Amino acid sequence: MLSCLGLRKDYVTERGAVAAVAGIDLQVAAGRFAAIIGRSGSGKSSLMAMIGGLSRPSAGSVVVNGTDIWDLTENELAAFRNRRIGYVFQFASLLPTLRLIDNVALPAMLSRGPGRNGDAGDTYARASALLAQMGLGDHLDAYPSEVSAGEQRRAVIARALINDPAMILADEPTSDLDEQTEIEIMDELLAVNRERGTTLILVTHNLALAEQAEQIIHIARGEIVE
Amino acid sequence: MTAERRGLRWLLASLALQNLGRRKARSFLLIAAVAVASGVVFTGATLMRSIDRSMAVGFTRMGADMMVVPEGALTNITAALLTVEPTDLVLDADLFAKAQLTSVSRAAPQKIARVEHSGIGSHHESADLIGFDPALDFTIQPWLVEKLNRDLQPGDVILGAGREAPLGSQLLIFGKPHTVYGRLGKTGVGTHERGVFMAFGTLDALAMSMGGHGGGSPPAVLQPGKVSGFLVELAPGAAPLQARFAILSTLKGVKVVTGDSTMSGIRQGLAALLDGILALMVLMFASTALMICVLFSAIVTERRGELGLLKAIGARRSQIVGMMVIEAVIATGIGGALGVVLGTLVMRFYERSLVYYLENVGVPFLWLDTPRMVAVAVGAIVLATIIGALGALYPAWRASRSDPYDLVRGEG
Repeated sequence: MLSCLGLRKDYVTERGAVAAVAGIDLQVAAGRFAAIIGRSGSGKSSLMAMIGGLSRPSAGSVVVNGTDIWDLTENELAAFRNRRIGYVFQFASLLPTLRLIDNVALPAMLSRGPGRNGDAGDTYARASALLAQMGLGDHLDAYPSEVSAGEQRRAVIARALINDPAMILADEPTSDLDEQTEIEIMDELLAVNRERGTTLILVTHNLALAEQAEQIIHIARGEIVE
Repeated sequence: MTAERRGLRWLLASLALQNLGRRKARSFLLIAAVAVASGVVFTGATLMRSIDRSMAVGFTRMGADMMVVPEGALTNITAALLTVEPTDLVLDADLFAKAQLTSVSRAAPQKIARVEHSGIGSHHESADLIGFDPALDFTIQPWLVEKLNRDLQPGDVILGAGREAPLGSQLLIFGKPHTVYGRLGKTGVGTHERGVFMAFGTLDALAMSMGGHGGGSPPAVLQPGKVSGFLVELAPGAAPLQARFAILSTLKGVKVVTGDSTMSGIRQGLAALLDGILALMVLMFASTALMICVLFSAIVTERRGELGLLKAIGARRSQIVGMMVIEAVIATGIGGALGVVLGTLVMRFYERSLVYYLENVGVPFLWLDTPRMVAVAVGAIVLATIIGALGALYPAWRASRSDPYDLVRGEG
């Protein structure tokens, strides 16, 4: 269960403070597919970043399963991001110097930490299986620059799933993809939501995509509008 | 070996290494800059220590402040090498013990006999046999670089650095077997490099053999109770002039030999120069650290997106900082190692000219021994990696404090 209360994000500019998110209350039940929609600059990505522990709110709280994530210590918050959340960003977010399998395994390696290398083989086996599930079984050793944008995005989904998170946050994950690839990527995300029961929160300005969601949160000028 | 088997540390280290490979020209320039700085430090430190050691040895004659010899003895005071030529003139061995001079802290008596046909070295080679009192000596035994695991005994000899013989082996001197007890390090003092050292009793025991081989009487210095001279160490606070006056007024028939004022000037000048070089080296390393800091600030700015991504997927601040620092340490470590190689080549190039110059002004040039030189090399490399780590630490720490979202958006 995700619950946001009075969530606010102000950015300080030369002309004074600008409210990207101006006090939002919302709730998303566990296992649901929610879409956050709005025009560019409406504050939906800022809202998503605060929900995911990526950007500290100016005010308000983000409570996940009874814990206000912004009350956590730095290391606890890192662990929360690592184990509870899977991110799919709107840009190609793979580390270019690592192979696809290393990119996918990295969050699990980070959560295990150094000195506990006994399970590294298991982690890589799981990364390999996830990449195969995403149709990338033949590209385990490929570097991101050696595969297409759609394949990179599938690898990012595989990486988001490696720690079996409770929530997938996808910030316009298909904005730079062609229509066919966009459909394939959305199918993958919806399958994760339905088959694994993982909460899916999708930021998009594509109404057709949003209409597939169980809950639509419409943002304008930093506020929820009906 | 891959991350599948090695785990997170390997993965982050490999990430750091590959990041260096992404901008080859920049990494090369960074490594080259560190190599130059490390090379200067390695070369400078090695030369400074070597020159300092050489001056100390040459000027003080192995730890002594002055030498007291019979008035008519020939002394070689070319530059700083205070060596007494073997002579038949002798002094009483208890001269200083009787005089009780307050300006003298220690006086080590020595007997020097230059002999031929002794069996040491080639057939016609003359050899300096140098006797000393192990209880009073402070100029010979400190130079032992290797010795048997026991005290010096009658019949033992110590070889100068210029002579080769295994420890414990037998050396025949005038047909009598002697045990090689130890070997001195390089002192730069001519008579000592190829000298054979032994306790007074051992040398005195050779007296009859020398006479037998030479057909005449043994050297006067080998008579019991006689010595060739004394190496003197001044008491703390005693001025050389004051001591010289006290010795000459108290002891009759002696000559006091010290280094000349020219050498003092050279030594002081070189000491000032070495201080200047040291200051330059410190400044050079400080500027290298600043350069690395600026460079890594730029690298962090360039990689904000990736660092933000790493934080987003759960990397802790310490892991972000660690990865950037490892990257810097790898680059500066390689630079440091190359600098040592570079410095070694430079020292080889300058060896002849520098050594030739110093020997011309009377300073025997003693290179640092291998273990110390290796220690300086390792020190230069470690210093380079520390500078790299410190240089990268601040930009990495700043980046690690930023919110992942700000980094991803390029604002952190």
